[in-house]
Amino acid sequence: MAKSVPALQNIPKTTTLQYKVLCTHPVQGVEDVSASTDEATREAEETLAYIRTTMETAGGFTPISGWGLVLVGLLGLAAAIATSIRSEGPADPTIWIPTAVLAIVISTTATAKKGNKLNIPLWSGSFRKLAWVMTPALVAGGMLTFALDAAGSNLLIPGTWLALYGAAVTAGGTQSARDFRWMGLCFLALGAIAFVRPEFNIWLLGIGFGGLHIAFGFRVAGKYGG
Amino acid sequence: MDKKPDELDRLIHERIRLGIVSALAANDTLTFADLKEILQATDGNLSVHARKLEEAGYITVTKGYEAKKPRTEYSLSPTGKAALESYLVKMESILDSTRKALGKKK
Repeated sequence: MAKSVPALQNIPKTTTLQYKVLCTHPVQGVEDVSASTDEATREAEETLAYIRTTMETAGGFTPISGWGLVLVGLLGLAAAIATSIRSEGPADPTIWIPTAVLAIVISTTATAKKGNKLNIPLWSGSFRKLAWVMTPALVAGGMLTFALDAAGSNLLIPGTWLALYGAAVTAGGTQSARDFRWMGLCFLALGAIAFVRPEFNIWLLGIGFGGLHIAFGFRVAGKYGG
Repeated sequence: MDKKPDELDRLIHERIRLGIVSALAANDTLTFADLKEILQATDGNLSVHARKLEEAGYITVTKGYEAKKPRTEYSLSPTGKAALESYLVKMESILDSTRKALGKKK
């Protein structure tokens, strides 16, 4: 059955032109008119598919879900609150490791869903680039967590998480929507504060993994259609 | 450039020029090398079409140097963005008319 395609004029003006194209013009062409032999129609289909493919190749947009980010932010806030209640230190692994795993599951599922809506497979060119630029900083964060824990420098772990996650997101922003660069820089700033004022670690984790994700999630959802 | 309301914008209807404005709609700026790679175009072809778009005010060009090498950067102007948007609406209206025609046949 043909997928329903919203008309370009019906897409909110706040979304980018690129999102409008990706959302309204499937790369396979418009199925319900594919039987037509009309030359103008076929040319229009081909042209729209060309515009869409060019925009995808040119990058600058990936279907990262804003609503997924909002959920991850709520999870981050809950984790920060749970950490303060349990009083086992700000980098309590029994809270933050399951939170990280759940956050990955939520954001991947939400992004795959949005990608499906825009006909962009999860492992497309833009996602591969995004994974390549983000993974090194995240892996470094994981390694440093173990090293700092082994050295008994647990107070430095929240700053490390915030700064390296910020570095990963800032790098990811070069392959995705520009807003992610700003989100990454905000995380980096929070990481810097955490190194100087570790007594605010739990607050900073809550503001970063909670507040920033929620704020930028709403921004991305509003600007890039979900 | 005067056009009849229903007429397609021939300036961006041409494949390479349409590719340039589409790629620039997805990015704030792109260099000559970026566009060449995205569109798989030759230097000569790309520069001729980019110049036509620049002359029409659809794209803006910034020339400079990076590590002593010339660097040309392109961005989509508001006129270019509006032109692409109206071009998309026209393309969609063609498909829409066919959908309606097919609907009547059923």
